[in-house]
Amino acid sequence: MRFSQIFSSTIGKKLILGITGLMWATFIVIHLLENLLLLNPDPDPFNKWAHTLISLGPIIYVAELVLVLSLLFHIFYAVRVTWENNRARSISYVKTAGKGGVSKRGLATSSMIYTGILLFIFIVLHLLHFKYGSYYEYEVGGVVIRDLYRTVHEYFSDPLNVTYYIVMMSLLGLHLSHGVWSAFQSLGLNGPRFTPLMTKIGTGIAVFVAIGFIGIPLFVLLTGGAA
Amino acid sequence: MEKTINLKLKIWRQSAPDAKGELVSYDVKDVSTEMSFLEMLDVLNEDLTKKGEEPVEFDSDCREGICGTCGIVINGIPHGQEKATTVCQLHMRHFKDGETVLLEPWRAKAFPVIKDLVVDRSAFDRIISAGGYISTKTGSAPDANIIAVPKPDAELAMDMAACIGCGACVAACPNASASLFVGAKISQLSLLPQGRIEAATRVQNMVAQMDAELFGACTNIQECEAVCPKEISISAIARMRREYVKAAFK
Amino acid sequence: MTLDSKIPAGPLAQKWDAHKAAIKLVNPKNKRKYTVLIVGTGLAGASAAASLAELGYHVKSFCIQDSPRRAHSIAAQGGINAAKNYPNDNDSIWRLFYDTIKGGDYRSREANVYRLAQVSNNIIDQATAQGVPFAREYGGNLANRSFGGAQVSRTFYARGQTGQQLLLGAYSALMRQVDAGMVEIFSRREMLDLVVEDGHARGIVVRNLVTGELESYAGHAVVLATGGYGNVFYLSTNAVNSNATAAWRSHKRGAMYANPCYTQIHPTCIPVSGDHQSKLTLMSESLRNDGRVWVPRKKGDKRPPAEIPDEERYYYLEERYPSFGNLVPRDVASRNAKQVCDEGLGVGTTGLAVYLDFADAIREFGEQTIRERYGNLFDMYEKITDENPYKVPMRIYPAVHYTMGGLWVDYNLMSTIPGLYVAGEANFSDHGANRLGASALMQGLADGYFVLPYTINDYLAGVKADKLHTESDAFKEARNAVTERVNKLLAVKGKKTVREIHRELGHIMWNYVGMARNKEGLEKALQEIPKLREEFWSNINVTGSDKNLNKALEQAGRLADYLELGELMARDALNREESCGGHFREESQTEEGEAKRNDEEFSYVAAWEYLGEDKIQALHKEELVFENVKLTQRSYK
Repeated sequence: MRFSQIFSSTIGKKLILGITGLMWATFIVIHLLENLLLLNPDPDPFNKWAHTLISLGPIIYVAELVLVLSLLFHIFYAVRVTWENNRARSISYVKTAGKGGVSKRGLATSSMIYTGILLFIFIVLHLLHFKYGSYYEYEVGGVVIRDLYRTVHEYFSDPLNVTYYIVMMSLLGLHLSHGVWSAFQSLGLNGPRFTPLMTKIGTGIAVFVAIGFIGIPLFVLLTGGAA
Repeated sequence: MEKTINLKLKIWRQSAPDAKGELVSYDVKDVSTEMSFLEMLDVLNEDLTKKGEEPVEFDSDCREGICGTCGIVINGIPHGQEKATTVCQLHMRHFKDGETVLLEPWRAKAFPVIKDLVVDRSAFDRIISAGGYISTKTGSAPDANIIAVPKPDAELAMDMAACIGCGACVAACPNASASLFVGAKISQLSLLPQGRIEAATRVQNMVAQMDAELFGACTNIQECEAVCPKEISISAIARMRREYVKAAFK
Repeated sequence: MTLDSKIPAGPLAQKWDAHKAAIKLVNPKNKRKYTVLIVGTGLAGASAAASLAELGYHVKSFCIQDSPRRAHSIAAQGGINAAKNYPNDNDSIWRLFYDTIKGGDYRSREANVYRLAQVSNNIIDQATAQGVPFAREYGGNLANRSFGGAQVSRTFYARGQTGQQLLLGAYSALMRQVDAGMVEIFSRREMLDLVVEDGHARGIVVRNLVTGELESYAGHAVVLATGGYGNVFYLSTNAVNSNATAAWRSHKRGAMYANPCYTQIHPTCIPVSGDHQSKLTLMSESLRNDGRVWVPRKKGDKRPPAEIPDEERYYYLEERYPSFGNLVPRDVASRNAKQVCDEGLGVGTTGLAVYLDFADAIREFGEQTIRERYGNLFDMYEKITDENPYKVPMRIYPAVHYTMGGLWVDYNLMSTIPGLYVAGEANFSDHGANRLGASALMQGLADGYFVLPYTINDYLAGVKADKLHTESDAFKEARNAVTERVNKLLAVKGKKTVREIHRELGHIMWNYVGMARNKEGLEKALQEIPKLREEFWSNINVTGSDKNLNKALEQAGRLADYLELGELMARDALNREESCGGHFREESQTEEGEAKRNDEEFSYVAAWEYLGEDKIQALHKEELVFENVKLTQRSYK
């Protein structure tokens, strides 16, 4: 088999979805941990950390490129797989029901493509709101750096924005609740002890990420936004 | 104890592969709860024949849950609601008097309807012929005990080999994926030392055929395992993927 | 016509080797010029098709199922015998041979049975190499168990699904040859006639069960591996589509039918629950290793089994057969169950059942051990009956299970029509009057893997590899005959359904040609069956058309053949005025009520030749010669 054939098979496509999905899941967890600094009433630690990252220069560009590319791959293959999977049942049932038991069929599994598309739109808007959003500068320890903390706090002082985030981050949690363990299964990583553990960890990550990313905007809103 | 119930059946009737199908309602009366689901249909067909109507066509053969011939989607679930059961082993005692029961054929692009509830599952045969075997010629086998097989491997291989090829996994999968069927066969053979020799080409060829038949991709929903009459675990699918990745590096 | 069994000369142990050395070969380059048609894809058919294709023959394989993997061999549970002697318990080819011929009540050929025992070991090797996941011991070697009361552990098994696993092994070998382009599969095809040209089998006419079209296929040889005829009884453990049509059509084209009265009634099946019943389910007889069979001593005792004290229970097998007890052979166990039920001691709503009680075994070994041994069988029982056998005794009753009779074949497995071979349950060859447990799988695979691939060369070497055609007069005649018959079935438009008449035939067969037979009953059957046949042809109702999938039409055609075959079974049973194996004539029993053979007069194979519509078949006798075993009366007291 030529290596490239992998990308055209059903298994290969799911491999790519799994790998890129896990990359993003990892990024999201790290991103949340970083953003916990937003809960600090002192803006400096957050802004300094952001500045440090930006100052990495080429490294950060490469990392961003990898993230963007993996996201594009993830979306491309997700759309393709969904399209092919719909084609695989051209005439649908009058009625379908889950059998229950071990089945994971539910809101998360059936909405992956929709939560995924919404999350993609969200990511674009998220970048526009923050990375390319209102730009403030201030001086810390003799260095002029961006006050991203202020941008975020301003944004989340609007209850509408916070509501939007609560919705989107719930969807992210939903996406991850199936996505994380599923990615391991797609990579062929399965075992009698590993898989039950992975499903628990997957759910845990989903809940942690959703609560974390809902908690930050809520906290900002309830504590009065940018002081 | 035996009692009788009345049911309203809504059955998918389709006269030919390219004909338009529709749901037709039938009332069945005094169904003994000792009957199997297929025996209940036998009785319905007797009545239809006596009225000069064409009986409802459905596939069945051994009627003891091992040949894999039967398969009806009952109220949205392949083989019905009972755990680890083929429809020939589903008994009427699990239905309530007055219940409406919906009967549909397996639905998948790779399983076209032939008539009524009968579908064409020859795609499964083509997948097996693409590599679901160990190439050993009759008469060329060495003594059976020359190669010892660890008991846990043999047991796991047997779990996988229990597949009856009914296609319920495909019917239940929201993606109409055949991954559990293919994964089970690949797992059985790759767990045994005799099957390791061809493991790489086997997984490549079987997966290629599976895809060519236009089955969907597995998205790890596990509905297949829930409906599988032999309760084959989706660890089969993970093993198939591992074998596939291994093969890619060969 | 004289019957030549073609048994090779020489000492028993060397007959097969000597024969193989003597038969002709076909040049490898010429093999591909020959086409072999193989009907049926069970153990015998699939293994033969794969093996012949591996040799280089072009094979066309036909089955009525939607896939070759579904043939009814798949339902065999218990295991497969072989004389490997892995457990070191002094088993040998001789012992397997001897047990099989004795178990068959000395009504089979020594040479065939010896060959079967010889090749049994190769089957285990072959299946293991194919990836059949046989049970293993902790050291990684194959496990064996004792089965059906055998004194050695020679049975290999794959949980309770040995037949399934062996069939899937043969199926995989078959599909490999499909991939290699050597086998073409024709599924959902039913053979409705055999084409005989110049006295040789040259082709078949099949109905495409999806389109309804008749298709003709020509071959240089034809192999029937179409299974047994147990469904004559309507209720049996056979699959609902198992049938005798291909064999019966071939019989009418000149293949003799041998020993049709030999049917095996399996003692441990789930009893009939009502008129709606479509088939019977067998449970492995290994259950009798731990279960105790009993009925209440008092007639009509309707108390729940737990409330019947031990002294009011009749453990009839243990009392009547102190040394074998519950492990007596199948025929003895079945007959005794019938007797106690006939005496009014039966249990359950129909009174046609006996208890198989595990309470003592559970007390002794614990529920866990019993679950490990029989868990899947107990689950199956509960699924069907809704009763928990861990708590209440199982109810069991005998059911028709296997037919030892079939088309007559010689040592090469060729029927009385040159070029027509018959393998597996469809032939009569190896089990005599009774088949031992775990021997059906052995015989089917022996025929397909290790006998036919040798013997068929001998015939083909003498056949010109000419171009095949399906337009000769013989083909046309066969097609016309099939068309006419199909049209006739559809034209009757009577009042009775196929199932109704089939059920009636089943009652006649079960009552008069069942577990115990007598002259009066058999003569009654010979009157009733033709009457029913007449009613069939004047009052059957088959709806729909012959232009598409029409299962009622398929079943009607099969029933028409059962209505003729059933009569021949009764005739054969009437002719055989002795008891042997599964054939119990009440007139021929010992003082203790056991089957009594009459070796002086009946040590022969009864082969029946078809003489034409409404004519009685002519009986030909193939004398059975025993040079190596001494004929003894079986005793299990």
